[in-house]
Amino acid sequence: MTRATDILCVFRIQFAGTRREVGPFLLAAFLFPAAMYLFANAVAGGDVAPPQSRLRFLAGSIVFSLSLTSISWLGYLLLENRFTGRLKLFATLPLAPSSYVFGVLLFALAQAAISTTTLLLLGRALGVQTGPNFLLLTIVILLTILCLCGLGVIVAARARSFSQGSLLTDTLGAGLIFLAPVYYEPVMMPRALRVFAELLPTTFAARAVQTTLAGGHAIGNDLLALGLTAVVTLALGFRLMEWRED
Amino acid sequence: MVAEIKSISPVKVKRVTPAPAPREIAVRVQDLAKTYRDGTEANRGISLEVRRGEVVAIVGPNGAGKTTFLRQLTTELRPTTGSVSVFGVDALAAPQQAKRAMGITPQEAGVFERLTVREHFELFARLKHLSKREAGAATREVIAELELSSETNKSVGSLSGGQRRRILIGLALLGRPPLLVLDEPTTGLDPASRRAVWGVIRRAVNTGTTVILSTHYMEEAERLSDRIAVIAAGRLIAFGTLDELLTRMDKSYRLSYRDAINPTDPLSDLKIRYFASFAQAQQHISRELLSEYSIARASLEDVYFNLTGEPFDKDETETIG
Repeated sequence: MTRATDILCVFRIQFAGTRREVGPFLLAAFLFPAAMYLFANAVAGGDVAPPQSRLRFLAGSIVFSLSLTSISWLGYLLLENRFTGRLKLFATLPLAPSSYVFGVLLFALAQAAISTTTLLLLGRALGVQTGPNFLLLTIVILLTILCLCGLGVIVAARARSFSQGSLLTDTLGAGLIFLAPVYYEPVMMPRALRVFAELLPTTFAARAVQTTLAGGHAIGNDLLALGLTAVVTLALGFRLMEWRED
Repeated sequence: MVAEIKSISPVKVKRVTPAPAPREIAVRVQDLAKTYRDGTEANRGISLEVRRGEVVAIVGPNGAGKTTFLRQLTTELRPTTGSVSVFGVDALAAPQQAKRAMGITPQEAGVFERLTVREHFELFARLKHLSKREAGAATREVIAELELSSETNKSVGSLSGGQRRRILIGLALLGRPPLLVLDEPTTGLDPASRRAVWGVIRRAVNTGTTVILSTHYMEEAERLSDRIAVIAAGRLIAFGTLDELLTRMDKSYRLSYRDAINPTDPLSDLKIRYFASFAQAQQHISRELLSEYSIARASLEDVYFNLTGEPFDKDETETIG
């Protein structure tokens, strides 16, 4: 109960801290991916693009949005807290570092829920045929967020400066999307990159989101991969995100 | 010729207190040392005990290791060796448990500018595991005590630096922890705010709170503390009451004067010299034909100089002999 209160309080602090900026945060989480959807769709032929491709573009845009909220902006918040001395304030409290991270993560989840819903509505408005199992989609999104947040935590904990950390989180947030077969088929990638891309969490996430949006359920392997990656990245992130300095 | 004594600083009346009864140890630090990975030694061999309800001031030159010590005490910095116990809890093995007994004001910490003063206190009170009701009451109490009532609903970002500093102190006070660790709590505050903070600390002590604070202000250390720890070059070089520290100085009178050649020249340096007795100081005044001078009992500032080799405020004094 105490832990839940701690997490909720950290979330409320973060939310209240950014409430006047929540509009731009959400707009950015929606605008970039929506623009990417329109761009990819246009390159693929616009209205004549096959439904399967349009579904892929929508799934890709959702994963892009999750990547931005989890790595780039969550990383940004953690970096801001660390380099403006706010983390020091949390460290004075009888608060577990993991409660702090989960509180910030809850903030990322709220953002992700809103941007994903908005993208799904956009897809429907643009005629993308979807038939998702919402429970399964929620699980996929949750695991994707956990997995990518772990990366944001690692960068935020290890960065030597705010600017270095910001550059890294931005690079990772976008790089993991464009180096993975999110907007295109894996066969279109150079062979060496394809092997590397198969290990990226965004690859599992894009495949799982696309399958789920199409109404499929065969995502066991991708869920397992996302779950394992989430455990590894978060465990490493928590280990590095210590109050106590060595 | 006998020189006229122009001014003698009033001798401070010391509080006469009966010998304290043995009290519970609030903080026990044993053989604390920190050496960083690059081999830099931050401190070593620091051992001290702080009794419940006591105020201990940590003084020392810049870079002496005061903050390093307080960061070790508050579990923020892992010591290389040694132990820290807070009300019997091993702070190194159980930092969260130890921090439940502490209110900490770090020397530099950021606040959440977009939160209002009330939100800041209430949310942090909840993070100190106070119930919603207790958090509300603690918030009202701390806001009143720190004279921030008119700022309650203002965003923290709109406050002055001194008010933000008071918020950091208020966050430490939330929940009335039995131990306050304050790293330079009044640095950057104007004199009125500084006195207000002293009042807050005194009231906390009156209710049995133990306080460990570092300070750059000798007056603060003298006025607030029961015992003073002097840290220099990462070592605890003295620890005791002001009287105990003063008795360690064999020369207990300070003569401050300007050169007899041109005493009215405002640019001539103020000089300080120590003497074992008042009579010896007077003899020196006669011998040097001094006309502008003052004699005073040695103070913490003088103890500090004798121990650290550095005057407390280099801009105002030059010490000789």
